[in-house]
Amino acid sequence: MSLTKSIRYNFMKDIGAPAVMGFAKAGKKKRRRKPNPNFGPPLKCANRLKEIMTRHYFLSRYAEGARPVAWVTSGAPVELLRPFDFYTIYPENHGALCGAQRLGPELCSVAEEHGYNQDLCSYARIDIGHFLSGKTPVGKLPRPDILFASNNICQTVAYWYKVLAHQLKIPFLLFDTPYNFEEITENDITYMVSQLEEMIPILEEVSGKRFNNQRFEQIMLLARDSSFTWGEVLATMKTEPAPMTIFDAFIHLAPIVSLRGLPVALDYYQTLLDELRERIDRGIGAIKNERKRLMWDNIAIWYKVRDFSNLFAEHGMNFVTATYTNAWAETISNMDTDKPLESMARTYSLVVLNNNLNHRLGLMERLIKEYKVDGLVIHSAKSCKPYSVGQYDLKRLLMDRLGVPSVVIDADITDFRAYSEEQTRTRLEAFFEGMED
Amino acid sequence: MTRREYLSKQKEMGRNLIGVFPAYYPKEILWAFNAVPAEIWDPPLEIAGANAHLQPYICSVAKLGLELILQGKGDILDGLLFPHTCDSIQNLASIVYDYLGLNKPCYFFYHPKAPYRNSSRTYYLEQLRSFVSRLEKDMGPLDGGELKHRVEQGHHLAAILREIYDLRSQGDFSASNAEFYRVIRQGEYLHPDDFIPLLEGFLGRSKGGDGKGSAVILSGILANPPEILGLLDDLGVRVANDDLLNCGRRLLMEPGRMEDPFEALTANYFAMPPCTTKDSPLDERVNDLLKKIEKSSTKGVIFYMVKFCEPELFDVPQMVAAVKTAGVATLIIDVDLNQGLSGQLTTRVEAFVEMIS
Ligand code: SF4
Ligand code: SF4
Repeated sequence: MSLTKSIRYNFMKDIGAPAVMGFAKAGKKKRRRKPNPNFGPPLKCANRLKEIMTRHYFLSRYAEGARPVAWVTSGAPVELLRPFDFYTIYPENHGALCGAQRLGPELCSVAEEHGYNQDLCSYARIDIGHFLSGKTPVGKLPRPDILFASNNICQTVAYWYKVLAHQLKIPFLLFDTPYNFEEITENDITYMVSQLEEMIPILEEVSGKRFNNQRFEQIMLLARDSSFTWGEVLATMKTEPAPMTIFDAFIHLAPIVSLRGLPVALDYYQTLLDELRERIDRGIGAIKNERKRLMWDNIAIWYKVRDFSNLFAEHGMNFVTATYTNAWAETISNMDTDKPLESMARTYSLVVLNNNLNHRLGLMERLIKEYKVDGLVIHSAKSCKPYSVGQYDLKRLLMDRLGVPSVVIDADITDFRAYSEEQTRTRLEAFFEGMED
Repeated sequence: MTRREYLSKQKEMGRNLIGVFPAYYPKEILWAFNAVPAEIWDPPLEIAGANAHLQPYICSVAKLGLELILQGKGDILDGLLFPHTCDSIQNLASIVYDYLGLNKPCYFFYHPKAPYRNSSRTYYLEQLRSFVSRLEKDMGPLDGGELKHRVEQGHHLAAILREIYDLRSQGDFSASNAEFYRVIRQGEYLHPDDFIPLLEGFLGRSKGGDGKGSAVILSGILANPPEILGLLDDLGVRVANDDLLNCGRRLLMEPGRMEDPFEALTANYFAMPPCTTKDSPLDERVNDLLKKIEKSSTKGVIFYMVKFCEPELFDVPQMVAAVKTAGVATLIIDVDLNQGLSGQLTTRVEAFVEMIS
């Protein structure tokens, strides 16, 4: 690491970032969006969230050379990296951000021009497109010293990170989590624990720091508490009317994905939870007229979050739960500092996408009952095979077992070339009609 | 004898038939249980019912495999095995096992992904043992001596295949491209007691023939549409080697010579050529392909892609770039299976051959 870069980074952290955030805030106050009559008052926390994420990406520009940098997948056990002081970048979060700003096709096209097929996951194409062109809405992402992925969400992340490792000639650590076809065995757990143990010397070498077990345990606790609090945030939507919508949750999950294990994430979710509880006490709903409650399946359609949010609110329908947002809370009760590595193996390998479809069906049934869900919207995401393969069967089974009506939207997470407004409108109109019967 | 007739005969002989989805699995263990693995890659079927379970953006290998089950063509099978190959096969395994109500056992085999460390070897070894325990529940106890015998037979088979591939790569093997892959692919369902003599006969017949002329290498998943092989024959081009998932990538390894059969099978797995479905680093894949090119003085590589095959599509740009840098021409074929040889595809192959001739 370079001393000059460290000094510059610390200066930016302590002085530059607060100043820039201050300017941004002052500028922000001037712009006011016309309130939508279908919604309750917006969440006050949204500004704080924006500050946190802007600061994270702003500081990342100065991290290269000052701190070891890791690019990490959303489901990787980041707690293991934090004691080494890695600055962590989440290309999936960056992809979502690009998607929300409708930059998906532009960045994907760069990757496609270099031979990456249009049928590949668009988070990966965006990231490769960004890597090849340097284009990003966040200014600049720091070059990684290491790549850290887990295939607990998909195999795609491994193929994608291998491309980066090949290009950058840097180490790639894969946390290989055997798929839970029937049940996770002791053999699987032993394998995962050994992998984590084997990673420590590599991380020590890349970061130039010794592993500090005490710090690791503190980080585990922070991560666990953040995930618990995130779970409680989501659980507030069990209330009728729900104080937030799943579209809010899509946005507010950024810290649990990208800043897990850092105090800022826990602080943020405690503040958000307090606000939501206050809204519950005061009977404030996210939408004014919550007549129907829905569940969302799969990752968000980032370029349609606002449109869908308005459209469903117009119909008095509120999304109150999603398998996706739940993923960062679902398995956290396994985290245990008495058995740190073993409990990490369980926490990370038991996530929804690493589980058989019956597990997912059980989870969806539970969420439908607990959140009093009336209908289900299934996003069939071209990018994401592990999330999408099996959705047709799940749709049928949920109808048979619980009589929950549903609709499938064919789309993509960020690449709106794979989305048809007309087809979606037609399907949704039929769904809205059906929901009124 | 057709594949179906052969499998029916095997069944009459008292052997269990296990339908196996792509790609990596310890076939010797199934042989030792007196079972015949019948691999399911590209059954000649029209996709219909599978569309009710799988989206349009899922590859035709997964779809055809499901179609085979849905159309009852797999009724003859005593069980199904799903190796953990990719996200599509992973979830397909769950659809079949959890929701199709098949009255037959479904096995799942998870193999460790690279980069390999010590834990990977220990894990693979244990996976083999637990696979055996799982099979014992349905097929009775495993005979240790029989496993040893089948592992040795696997070694013998691998040695013959290596010899055939080596001769072919040097241009000393006379079989046509179409004939070559027709024979090699019979290993996808023949019992080794039948496949070994077949290969030995093939080797004896074809050894030493004049197979010079322009050479290409096939990379990708599997040589489908197979008609391209015939077209290459007609155009006087020899397929000198391959890096296909269903052929060279699984068949061409130097087997482990350990006394313990489980240790030997473990060594085999880690000795196989690099593969994207095992997360092998790209450098290894690229180098392996370049070595093959050099060994057989190849002038062109045809990438036989299956549409929507995520694992392979991620590796291809780097492989194409490396091959081009080496001054070797490339042709990418990205198709759904069983679609035959279109006029457009014929023209592309002809233009490619012209370029390398
Ligand atoms: S969208 Fe799906 S395939 Fe792509 S990185 Fe995320 S989990 Fe993996
Ligand atoms: S063709 Fe590719 S995506 Fe399809 S089953 Fe094979 S490895 Fe998986």
